Amino acid sequence: MARDGRSGSGVLTWSRFPSAAPSLLRELPILFGALAVFYALLALSHQWAASVGAQEQINLSPSALPRYAMLSILRIAIAYFLSLLFTLVYGYVAAYNARAEKFLVPLLDTLQSIPVLSFLPGVMVSMVALFPTRQIGIELGSILLIFTGQVWNMTFSFYSSLKNIPREMREVAQIYHWSWWQRFTQMELPYAVIGLVWNSMMSVAGGWFFLMACEMFTLGDRDLRLPGLGSYLQTAANEGNMRAIGYGLAVMIGVIVLTDQLVWRPVITWAEKFKFEQVEAADVPDSPVLHFLRHSKILPLVARVTVRPLRESLALRFARQNVAARENPAPNGGARHWLMRLLLLGIFLGVAYAFFRMIGLLSGLKPAELREIFVGAGATFLRVAFTLFLAGLWTIPFGVVVGLNPKLSRIVQPIAQVAASVPATALFPVILLILIRVGGGLGVGSIVLLLLGTQWYILFNVIAGAIAIPTDLKEVCDIFRFDRLERWRELFLPAIFPYLITGFVTASGGAWNASIVAEYFRFRGHTYTTTGLGAVISAATDSGNFRVLLGATILMAIMVVTINRLLWRHLYGVASTRFRLES
Amino acid sequence: MAQTQNSGNKLRELAAQGQWDAALEYLRSLDATPAASAFLELPFEKQQALFQRLPAEFAGTLLSHMPYFHAYVVLHSRPLGKMLEIINAMHPQERERFLEELPEEAWQALQEELEQARAQAGVEIAGPGAMPGIAPEALPPATAVPIFEARNIEKIYRQPDGHEIQVIAPLNLTIEPDAVIAMLGPSGSGKSTLLRILCGLSQPTSGEVLWHGRPVAECHPNVAIVFQSFALFPWLTVLDNVEAPLLAHGLAHFERHRRALRALDSVGLKGYESAYPKELSGGMRQRVGFARALAVEPEILFMDEPFSALDVLTAENLRGELLELWLAKKIPTRTIFIVTHNIEEAVLLADRIIVLGRNPARIRADFRVPLRHPRDRKDAAFLVYVDYIYKVMTQPEIELAPPSATEARPRAKPVMLPHARPAGIAGLLEVLVDRGGNEDLYHVAEDLLLEVDDLLPLVEAATLLGFAMAREGDVEVTSKGRAFAEADIPTRRALFREASLAHVPLLQQMKAALEKKSDRSMPLEFYRDLLDEHFPEEEANQQIETALGWGRYADIFTYDSETDTIRLESPLVPTESQNPEAHH
Repeated sequence: MARDGRSGSGVLTWSRFPSAAPSLLRELPILFGALAVFYALLALSHQWAASVGAQEQINLSPSALPRYAMLSILRIAIAYFLSLLFTLVYGYVAAYNARAEKFLVPLLDTLQSIPVLSFLPGVMVSMVALFPTRQIGIELGSILLIFTGQVWNMTFSFYSSLKNIPREMREVAQIYHWSWWQRFTQMELPYAVIGLVWNSMMSVAGGWFFLMACEMFTLGDRDLRLPGLGSYLQTAANEGNMRAIGYGLAVMIGVIVLTDQLVWRPVITWAEKFKFEQVEAADVPDSPVLHFLRHSKILPLVARVTVRPLRESLALRFARQNVAARENPAPNGGARHWLMRLLLLGIFLGVAYAFFRMIGLLSGLKPAELREIFVGAGATFLRVAFTLFLAGLWTIPFGVVVGLNPKLSRIVQPIAQVAASVPATALFPVILLILIRVGGGLGVGSIVLLLLGTQWYILFNVIAGAIAIPTDLKEVCDIFRFDRLERWRELFLPAIFPYLITGFVTASGGAWNASIVAEYFRFRGHTYTTTGLGAVISAATDSGNFRVLLGATILMAIMVVTINRLLWRHLYGVASTRFRLES
Repeated sequence: MAQTQNSGNKLRELAAQGQWDAALEYLRSLDATPAASAFLELPFEKQQALFQRLPAEFAGTLLSHMPYFHAYVVLHSRPLGKMLEIINAMHPQERERFLEELPEEAWQALQEELEQARAQAGVEIAGPGAMPGIAPEALPPATAVPIFEARNIEKIYRQPDGHEIQVIAPLNLTIEPDAVIAMLGPSGSGKSTLLRILCGLSQPTSGEVLWHGRPVAECHPNVAIVFQSFALFPWLTVLDNVEAPLLAHGLAHFERHRRALRALDSVGLKGYESAYPKELSGGMRQRVGFARALAVEPEILFMDEPFSALDVLTAENLRGELLELWLAKKIPTRTIFIVTHNIEEAVLLADRIIVLGRNPARIRADFRVPLRHPRDRKDAAFLVYVDYIYKVMTQPEIELAPPSATEARPRAKPVMLPHARPAGIAGLLEVLVDRGGNEDLYHVAEDLLLEVDDLLPLVEAATLLGFAMAREGDVEVTSKGRAFAEADIPTRRALFREASLAHVPLLQQMKAALEKKSDRSMPLEFYRDLLDEHFPEEEANQQIETALGWGRYADIFTYDSETDTIRLESPLVPTESQNPEAHH
C-alpha cells in the first residue's frame, strides 16, 4: 500500500501529458489493490490446505512480516464478513418474528456480555478435532473465535436500527407495496448503515485483541500456532529478541493506522449520506481516499456493467414477484410451516441435550475444585475492580484537563488513539518480558496488563465528556468564582458522569475478558500464574480438565452478566436521566 | 332542564335505532324550544338524516330556534328548492331575525341560492347534475358509489396489563369519488389512526373497511399518502425517492423515469432530480412528497397533516398549488382525503368536512361546504363555516352512551384534564380581559397566531377551572377569571389552588389521599396506574404531567423526581389555603 504515495506524486509530475497515461496512472492503486487481494486469497488457501504435521516455524526476520501481517488481516476480514452475514440474518429474524424476538434478544444480550476468551480452549479443541490433519482446523478455530468476539455488538446495532425505523417510513414501504428486497436495500440497510459502520470499527479493533491471543497457544501437550503477527510477537518475546519485537509492533501499528485511513475513514465519509438528518451537517468528515475513489474512471465503468444492471434486474424481479403474488395469492405454505417447526424442535432438543450433558459434567466437580473456582472468582473480581479504580484515578483528572484545553486535546487525542489501537494482547509478551527483568511477579503484572487493555476506553470517554461541557456552564463557574473543589463537584464530575459510565462499562467487560490471558502465562517454558478465575480457566485448558473449564467459564459469564444488570445498567439509567445535559 | 335532558336522550335513542317516523312524531309532540335543543343534541349525521325527513313547515319552526350558523348549515342539507320552501315556512319575524343575524356575504350567498331555486321553481327534487357548482344534497350522497366504505369500525388498544382502551368508537364512514374530504379533530382524537385504518395500513379491532365493495385487506388499493414529516428517504435522491413506489409496481427503468419526471415537473421541481432531500427546504421536501404520491396516480390521495410542519407562508403557497392542480384536473387523482387540525385549511380546501370528537374518536359533524373555489378567507359564508366548526369543537362532548347507563355507571371515566400549563391559562385570561372579557374564539386564535390545537386546551382548562365560559364559539371571562388574571403571583397561585381543588377531581383525590397518609407522600406511579385504566399510555402520561404541573403550581403538593413521589406541601401550615399571602 506504500505505492499509494508514489503514484500520487507521479500524477503531479506527469499531469502535463494530455494522453491516457496520467489517468491510467491514477487508477493504478485500484488495480494493485485488486491484485493484492487476489494474491492474498490464493496464498491463504494454499496455507490452509497444508498438513498440520509440518509444524509452522515462526520466522523472525523482518522480510517474513508482510506475509504474516497479510495472513492476520485476512483472518480478521473473513471473521468480519461472517459476522456481517450473521448480523443481517439474526437481526432480521429478531426484529420481524415476534415470537423469535422474545428469546433471541435476551440471548443476544447475554452472549454480548460473556467474555469470549473463555471460549478459546473449547472452540480450539473442537475445531482441531474436526480437522485433525489439516491446518484449516486451527485456522477455522481462530476465525470462529474472532467471530464470537466481533459479532454481538454488530447484531445488536442492526437489530435496534431495524426496530427504530420511523413509523412513517415503514408506512411508505407498506402503502406502496415494496418487495422485501426493496425494503431491505432502500430502507432497512441504509437506515442501519451508520450504526453498523461504527460497530464494525469497534468489532475489528476487538478482533485484533483476540487474534493475538489465539494465533499461538498450547492445548495440553500440543503447541498450536498459526503464522501471523500475533505468533510473531509471541515468538519474539519468547526469544527475548527486542529488535524483532520492535519490528512486529511497528508493522502492527502501521497496519492498524493504514486500515483506519484506507478503510474506515472512507467508509465513514461515505456513510454520511445515510445519516438520518434533515439538515446538512456543518462539519462533515473528509477522506482523501474516498475522494480519490469517487473520481476514479475505472470504478464507475465497472459499476455500470456489473452492479447497476444486477441491481436493477434484482429489484425488478422481486417487485414483479411481489405484484404477481398480490394478484393471485398462493395458498398457505403448509409444508414450509412444518419444516420450520421441525427445525425449531431439532434446535430445542439439541439445546436440551447439551444442557443435560453440561449438568452431568458439572455435577462431577470436586469440592476442592469448586473452592478453587470461587476463590478465583473473588480474586479476579477484586483485581478488575482495583484496575478500574486505578484507571479512573489517572484518566479522570487527565481527561478533564485535556478535554477542557482544546490545544492540548488536539495533540493528545491522536496519540491516545494510536496507543489504544494496539491490542493489549499484543503487548502482553513484551510487558511480561520487562516485568520479569524488573522482577515483579504476575500478581502485579496482571494488573498492569489489565490496565493496559482497559484504561483507554475510560480516557476517551472522559475527554469526550469534558469537551462536551457547555461554555455557558463554565462561565457560570467563573462568574460565581467557584474554587477548584466546587468546580469539580458541581460541574465537571456531573457533566462527565454519563460518559464515564459508558467508559467503565466497556472497560469492565474488557477487563474480565483480558483476565484470562493476563493471569496465566507460559513464557520460555515457564508458567507464570496468579490466583484468579482467568488463571483457573487457562490452567484447566492446559491440563484438559473440562469440568473445571466449564464451571469456571459459566461462573465468569454469570458474574459479568450480573454485574452488568445490577450495577452498570442502574448507573446508566441514572446517567441518562439525571445527568444528561440537554442541548 | 331535566325534561330537556330526557327528551334529548329519547330522541337520540330513536335516531340511533333508525326509527325516523317515531322520532319525527316525538319531535312534533314537544314544544318548539325543547324540540330544537333535543334536535341539536343529536350527532350531526343524524341531525341531517332527520332534517331531511321534516316537512317544510315544521323544519321552519325548528330552524327559528337554532343559532344562525347551525341553521345555515342544516339548511344546506336540503336541495335548493326545499331550502326556499323551508325559509318561506318560517315565521316572518323569526325569518327576519335569522337573515339579520347572518353575516353580510353569507346572506348574499343565500339570497343567490334562493334566487336560483326560484328560477327553477317546480323542480322539486333536483338531480345532482341539475345545479352545477353547488352540492344539492348533503349526506348520504345517493348517486356516487363510494370508493371506501367503513362499516362499524372500532379500534381498541389492549394495554400490557390487560386494560382495553377504546380509541375509536364504532363509526361508519364513506369516501365518495371526486371530492376533497377533510377530517378535522383536536390533537389526540385518533384522526391519523382512522386514516390508517381506511387505507389499510392498520386493522380495525372490529368492523370492516370495503374498497369498491371488497374488504380492503384482500385487495391492494392504489392509494398514496402524503405525510406530515414528509417521510422521504434521506439516502435516496429526489428522483429515486419518487421512483421508489414505481419500482415496487415493477415498472422498468425507462417508464419509471418518465413518470417520475412528469410528477416532479407538475409540482415544480424540475431540475432538482439529483438533489438529496436534506439539501432542500421544508416546502420543497413536501413537494417531493407530493410528487412521490402523485406519480403512482392513486385513486385516492390521503394526506396526514401535510402542511403542519411548514411555515405559514410556505403552507399557504403549497395548499394553493395543490388545489390548483386538482381544480384544473392536471392530476389524474380526483379524490383527496386530508386530515388536519387547521380549521381554515379544511374550509379552504374541502367539499366535505368531517369533525371528530375525541376519547374515543367519533364523528361529531359531517357536512358539505358548497362554496365555490377559490375561496376567500374574508368571505362571510366562509366565516360561517369556520365559526360553526369552532362551535362544534368547543361544545362539550355529547354523551353517546345509552341514557340508562348514564345514571349509575360502575366506574366513571375520570374528567380529562386539558393539556394546558397554568402560565398559559393565565396568559389567555390576561389577553381576554384586555379585550373586554368576551371574544370570538376564532379572532383570539387569529390574533395570537395560535392553532386551534394550542388554543382549545387553554380554553378548556379555563372553563374547567371556572375562569371562563365557552359558548357557541365565544369565550367569556368569569368574575373569578378576571380576579385571577389581574392578581399578583402569590394570589394567583392561591386562586388557582382554590379553583383546581373545587373543579378537578383528580387533584381533590390526590390531596385527600396525601392527607390520609401518615408520611404525607404517595408514589406517583399509583396515579399513573389508575389513569392507565382509562386512557392510552401516552395520554395517561400527559394527564399525569398536567396534573403534576397544576398541583405544583397550586401548592397542593411537591414532587420529587428521584423517588417519583408526591408529598403534601408544607403539612405544618394547614391554614395556608385561607391565608396564602402569609405563606409566601
